[in-house]
Amino acid sequence: MIFVQVKPKTTRGTWALRAVTAAVTIIVILVLGTVAYSAYQDYSAIKSELAGGSSPAVGTETRNGTSEAITLDIPIPNHGLYTLNVTIACTYPTSNVVCTTAHVSVPPGGQGTLLFEINVTNMTQFENSGNLNVNGTVAIVMPPFASVSVQTNFGGFVSQGGGS
Amino acid sequence: MSFGRQVTMRRRILSAAWAFVANFVLWIVIPYYVGTLLVGRVPESALTVPSFVFEFGALFIVLDVGAAFFQGKAISVPFISGAAALSAVFLWLVTNGGSLTVTTAGIDITLGFQLLLYVLVLPSIWAAIRAPLSYLVWRRAAASSAPPNPVPTGSA
Repeated sequence: MIFVQVKPKTTRGTWALRAVTAAVTIIVILVLGTVAYSAYQDYSAIKSELAGGSSPAVGTETRNGTSEAITLDIPIPNHGLYTLNVTIACTYPTSNVVCTTAHVSVPPGGQGTLLFEINVTNMTQFENSGNLNVNGTVAIVMPPFASVSVQTNFGGFVSQGGGS
Repeated sequence: MSFGRQVTMRRRILSAAWAFVANFVLWIVIPYYVGTLLVGRVPESALTVPSFVFEFGALFIVLDVGAAFFQGKAISVPFISGAAALSAVFLWLVTNGGSLTVTTAGIDITLGFQLLLYVLVLPSIWAAIRAPLSYLVWRRAAASSAPPNPVPTGSA
């Protein structure tokens, strides 16, 4: 015996499932697209500024007796679609080294400046030992979706023999 | 996905074979060669292919082959849902819950993207939920649109 095959009509439930699928797809495409676009734009803009753009990063070293202050003036442009928060801080400051914690929050399309300072109170100690360990962190946050944190030795910013 | 449609055995076997080949390449062959490449080219790199990728690969093959073979039937639902849920878990594990740390040349780089990860696993979670819902919707629609006394179209 052969029975007829029942082909159900498209119901409200089917349309609801399709609508949710479409909404999920649109949300994912929008979020991934905007985050990827913003990350690329911000990376390109910061890279070009650091490489000597319209207002390139400036680093100055000021020697005063045995102490030295290293100041970094870093322009942070935001060409993306999300706010960009950038923080530079020393993770474990020592008695010989004092750092300021620099933080800037740049809205989309805006431009900020990060002013970071490392003070070495006794350069003689550094010059005798030959190395200066200042663990520091650079945190770039694109709230609420992504963040990059780079932890490295900031001692490389300081040159032996004083600055310019 | 659609339920209730007639699928020939030949088509089922072909679909299952295709699912097997595609998943084998995606989950076994590619990770193996990527791992070999990472170890060979960047020996000091912290980046490796975790061994659980191959275990997940074997599970993906079983689930996707099952889903392809039983397509259109109720029994395909656990295979479809299982594969979707497994891909969400896999994405979560492989990204360490949205927090990746790489140490190279004395520099620690930490990437945080928890919220982005929630967005990334959203389609997989929805696919896992949608499969049983689609089946229920189809069953309800089939029951409501079926004639009270099916009329035979031919004789035995």
